[in-house]
Amino acid sequence: MLSEKFPGARWNWTEAPAVENHFATGLPQMDEPLQGGLPKGALAEIVCAGSGSAALIRELLVRAAGKNQIVTLIDGGDSLDVAPIEETVLSRLLWVRCRSAEEALKAADLVLRDSNLSLVLLDLKLNPQKQLRKIPATTWYRFQRLIEETAAVCLVFTPQAMVSPAQTRMILRSRFSLNSIESPAEALMQDLRLEISDARQFRERELLQNSA
Amino acid sequence: MDPEAANAIIQATAAAKKSGVAEGLTPAQAVARCSELKIRTRSPSQETAATEILLQTAGAFSPNIESTALGVCTLELKGLGLEEEPAACRWAEKIPPALAPFYLDAKIGIAPTPELALLAAQVEMGLSGGDGPSNSHLRRGVRWQAKRDTAFERQTTREIQSDGQQATASQSGVAATALQDLAVVSKVPKKRAFFLVQTADAFIAQLPLEALQPAPEIAAVLARWGIRTVGQFIALGKNEISERLGTEALGLFKRVSEDAIRPLKLVAPPEHFSEQIEFENEIETAGPLIFVLRRFVEQLALRLQARYLAVGEFHLRLGLASGAQYEHTFKIPSATGNVETLFRMLQTHLEMVRTDSPIVSLQLAAQPARPDLHQFGLFENTLRNPNQFAETLARLAALAGMENIGTPVLEATHKPDAFRMRRPDFDSVPGRDSEPKTTDGLPLRRFRPPLPAHFEFRGAYPALIRSRMFNGAVRGARGPFISSGQWWDDRRWAREEWDIETTEGSLLRIFRSSDGCFIEGVYD
Repeated sequence: MLSEKFPGARWNWTEAPAVENHFATGLPQMDEPLQGGLPKGALAEIVCAGSGSAALIRELLVRAAGKNQIVTLIDGGDSLDVAPIEETVLSRLLWVRCRSAEEALKAADLVLRDSNLSLVLLDLKLNPQKQLRKIPATTWYRFQRLIEETAAVCLVFTPQAMVSPAQTRMILRSRFSLNSIESPAEALMQDLRLEISDARQFRERELLQNSA
Repeated sequence: MDPEAANAIIQATAAAKKSGVAEGLTPAQAVARCSELKIRTRSPSQETAATEILLQTAGAFSPNIESTALGVCTLELKGLGLEEEPAACRWAEKIPPALAPFYLDAKIGIAPTPELALLAAQVEMGLSGGDGPSNSHLRRGVRWQAKRDTAFERQTTREIQSDGQQATASQSGVAATALQDLAVVSKVPKKRAFFLVQTADAFIAQLPLEALQPAPEIAAVLARWGIRTVGQFIALGKNEISERLGTEALGLFKRVSEDAIRPLKLVAPPEHFSEQIEFENEIETAGPLIFVLRRFVEQLALRLQARYLAVGEFHLRLGLASGAQYEHTFKIPSATGNVETLFRMLQTHLEMVRTDSPIVSLQLAAQPARPDLHQFGLFENTLRNPNQFAETLARLAALAGMENIGTPVLEATHKPDAFRMRRPDFDSVPGRDSEPKTTDGLPLRRFRPPLPAHFEFRGAYPALIRSRMFNGAVRGARGPFISSGQWWDDRRWAREEWDIETTEGSLLRIFRSSDGCFIEGVYD
């Protein structure tokens, strides 16, 4: 019973202490390829090539609330639908409703400096291309430096790949139909298609190929 | 200068007095005597604050204190275990450093009676020249050699060297023979910041008569009689003094009598902590205001810290030139005395403040609270640093507006997208009967406000949609779903909704109401 309550506890003094470098989302299609979950102290990007980003955000909110984890959602398009979400989930949510991508990035800069907020979702899916093109590339590198100090988890939802220093990049390729609108939550999560595109491993592979 | 007292000089520093400036002169007369003179206007609010600081600091050293006069506080030492001189010295030496952060220079006298203690403190003030900083140049390059015998502070001969000049002063007992000798002694760096009267008789005997501040008539009579010291004055005898000099002189006699142990009029240190200032010029920018505000935050934090308290709440009041006032209360999430945290909170707010008139006064009051002792739970994930979180919230509010930051709370209505935002409360963990569950159905990404659109219907179903973001034919539709509410008042609403799938694969929720046709959101 204790081992279930404290999965990370040591039962033998000779065991090395468990170091949690990942935030387990509870979604197998995310935790298994990422070897434990979203990396702490690093940026992760979800490229919303298909549908399902709102369902993923909602699922992350619910699973984080189950662990009493405070979640900060920086909503670049002010698009979160709060009505279907339980109050116990909403009570652990800090919702930052922004009107533009620029405002969302400024808010992210403030939030990532706060050591109290260790799970940050930055949603830029609905922001127009005109706003996203104006984001300097250095912004992401600055965010990476910030979260390295706080060991926070920062997941960025984008319409196309743009977070260069992201340690993890996943591509959402789900497609839903009219019949999916009333599907059970478990079925929707099973239909979620996430393709892992590990940016760092890709660059290392490229370097190896070039050197060969 | 006190503008309410005939606009005259009421107090002058030693350097000003040397230049010929005296009390009673008008500012023009004073400036004529010293062209580099700086005249400051008396500030009753700052005097009150200084008195409060004095009493609050004194309250940390003795439970029984008296507010004897403006800037004078008497402490009772009975029961504090300070009968031994070393203990009393150690106790007294802590007082000046406690007042120094508030820019208050303490002069301390310790004696068997309250009146003698006040006289001893005045002697101490005379020893220091009455103006510490101006004597600092004399203290450089000064060497003090003293011969001490076994008695406390009893010296026979001292040699004083100051900037190449030599002077020899001899003194006996705890007090010098005259204030002139004391003035010479004052050029020597003192080891102590207090004057302890060990033998009251010897102290009184050598005390100059001017220390009692007799009325001019009495002083003139005593001067004609050759009475120079208090000892000589007392030697006249109580009855003689009463008969020949009157009741006023008798009052002076009683002041220095060892039997004159009057009870202290005890006061409790004031419980309010407030700093305020009236600006000489109107303030139109935030820079000077923030400078003064930081100083106030430091002062208040120190005052509270001296009493082992922290700041629980700030109340800021800005007086405007138009006569109006701007007030704001800052609740500190976790009571703290950290100046940086408190100041940043005020500074972030002031950056957003806009007033119609310039600012003429500033008052900052602190509500004391016990410092927060946070017991972190084993299974809870609450805020580690509530003050940092409050600052983050304030900055987010300044960026996006307070109404766009927080935790959403659903309204008790069926109207779509009805919620309000409240300030987050993460310090407590909500009780739950079961694990939270994800609701069924594909969630919606809402457009706020809803996107205006034009629908073309074929029969009862939409067949074509045109809008800023979505255009094209409708492949499939479900609906209509009719909803309405609040039909009993002017907030009534009614709409027809459809869920549609376009030929491009977008899943949209559209609705038609009395206001027109809109796209509510996209299913994602």
